[in-house]
Amino acid sequence: MTPGLDHTLGIVALGAAVLGATGGMLGSFAVLRRQSLLGDVLAHAALPGLCLGWLVAGRSVVPLMTGALLAGGLAALSVLAVGRFTRLKPDAALGIVLSVFFAAGVVMLSHVQAVGGAGAAGLSAFLFGQAAAMLQADLVAMAVVGGGAAVLVALFWKEIAAVCFDAPYARALGLPVGAIEALLTLLMAMAIVVGLQMVGVVLMTAMLIAPAVAARVWVSRLAPMVGLAAVFGVVAGVGGAVLSAGARGLATGPVVVLIATGIATVSLLLAPGRGVVWRLVRNRRLAARLEGLRVLDTLRAVAQAHGDPDYPAQTGMIAAAHGLPVDRQLRQLQAEGLVAAVCHPPEAAQHWVLTPEGRARLAMVGEKA
Amino acid sequence: MTGTDLHEPHFALHVEDLTVAYRHAPVLWDIDLDVPPGVMCAVVGPNGAGKSTLLKAALGLVPPVAGHVRFFGLPYAKARQRVGYVPQRSTVDWDFPATALDVVLMGLYGRLGWFRRPGKAERAQALAALEAVAMADFAARPIADLSGGQQQRVFIARALVQQADLYILDEPMAGVDAVTEAAIVALLKGLRDSGRTVIVVHHDLQTVQRYFDWLVMLNIRVIAQGPVSEVYTPENLRRAFGGRVALIGGEA
Repeated sequence: MTPGLDHTLGIVALGAAVLGATGGMLGSFAVLRRQSLLGDVLAHAALPGLCLGWLVAGRSVVPLMTGALLAGGLAALSVLAVGRFTRLKPDAALGIVLSVFFAAGVVMLSHVQAVGGAGAAGLSAFLFGQAAAMLQADLVAMAVVGGGAAVLVALFWKEIAAVCFDAPYARALGLPVGAIEALLTLLMAMAIVVGLQMVGVVLMTAMLIAPAVAARVWVSRLAPMVGLAAVFGVVAGVGGAVLSAGARGLATGPVVVLIATGIATVSLLLAPGRGVVWRLVRNRRLAARLEGLRVLDTLRAVAQAHGDPDYPAQTGMIAAAHGLPVDRQLRQLQAEGLVAAVCHPPEAAQHWVLTPEGRARLAMVGEKA
Repeated sequence: MTGTDLHEPHFALHVEDLTVAYRHAPVLWDIDLDVPPGVMCAVVGPNGAGKSTLLKAALGLVPPVAGHVRFFGLPYAKARQRVGYVPQRSTVDWDFPATALDVVLMGLYGRLGWFRRPGKAERAQALAALEAVAMADFAARPIADLSGGQQQRVFIARALVQQADLYILDEPMAGVDAVTEAAIVALLKGLRDSGRTVIVVHHDLQTVQRYFDWLVMLNIRVIAQGPVSEVYTPENLRRAFGGRVALIGGEA
């Protein structure tokens, strides 16, 4: 690799790390407040702002970021206004504002490109991101915005936590809930601005949601969740940057998003306690235990029918009374010490009796009247 | 009268001319209400009577169309530290990543001030509040793993840690088991016996006489208010609930 390529990879990887950390940290609050979709709205709404910034100052990072922030703020206010002055449900309000802003952005984009000539071609990179076009100035701006967001979160941590968990109570305590909610929306817009160059307006919301969702299933307190989400974001960002640098024709932004969502998928499947696989295993164990209990109950019924609680019942007789094959359950119950295998001469077939432990287990569910 | 003057200071809660409307439909109409200090007061009424809204309006969470509210003679903004609020359990997402202790500590956030984190003293207070609701063993437990009754106790502990003079609880006995209900009632009676005032939105008419000594009957308007022995009458119940309710527990 040439030094130039190394330099680019360094900038891209650092930028991806900043993006991942910022997205993961701030996405946690969006996910906990059930406002993930607002992130999508702010991201799509950034496009007309970017076009305006371009028209004013060309390819210069500060005007572009400012334009995106302002457009995001306008979109957030629009969502509030639609919610207040119409009877639309929140999801419809979000969908409409997203579409209107994004449509306006695409119209402006095509117009700017038509009149702006070749120089304006770079603007369309903001749709899906173009990491390779990142400059050092972009990285510095991203780091400043991301760092600023981290400082704000640290300063207002307890107010943010209280508002995310129980906003009406926080208001009753006298906390300025409206201002904190506005701050959280601003922070979300900042996270999006950080990601525009890298993953673009269309995919940015994944960088808010995926690391936060992944982190939530592994930990059960707020600070570890926010920290772990940031770590997941960094892993996805740097991993995506390195992967796409090593292979030809892989767009960095989408690869980063795929890694982040991959982490989320694996987490949702495997996390202890909350993961899908873990719950499946637990449910299967519970079901097996329940089935064993029912076989135990049948054995008791058979013994009672013979007027002898210690009556040795043959496997086939238990199965007939139970209505289902019982061999596997009996062996499992034997392993747990709840039934014992006995001989019942002169018969050669296997017979079974309840052990005291088995009777105790049955006592937990009582007896059929 | 200026805002700092005490107005009706001899009542723990004083509500005058309070009217609240959602989209032009009145939810509370011209409420005049006084709760003296040191009582355990139930607010009862049919569904849609405005019970929760009354609490929220008193706490400034719902804007009133008209009227005013005083706590110990002060507007709520000046009496916050003296009032502990326990919202309905179902209003929050219990899947939030926090331990029981984390939630109780939030009760101190209003007092801590900007940029200050809860420290050792605050943690000790929060633990004591959990102790008071018999949840100290669950302090480090994620709230998502708690049962409904345990979650309710954590919510009460979050208000207790404020060391308030007046506690306002919205349906604390909804959806909890009998053991938890008994524990909550014993705790609230203990608060009252130590001179605090307790106001509870309550849904179970059968237990009103056993649990409470003061009663407000509400149905958009105040139907009746006063000591339970005077207010809990067939006539008042009929006026509050319509013909649908049979008086349980005999004559008051």
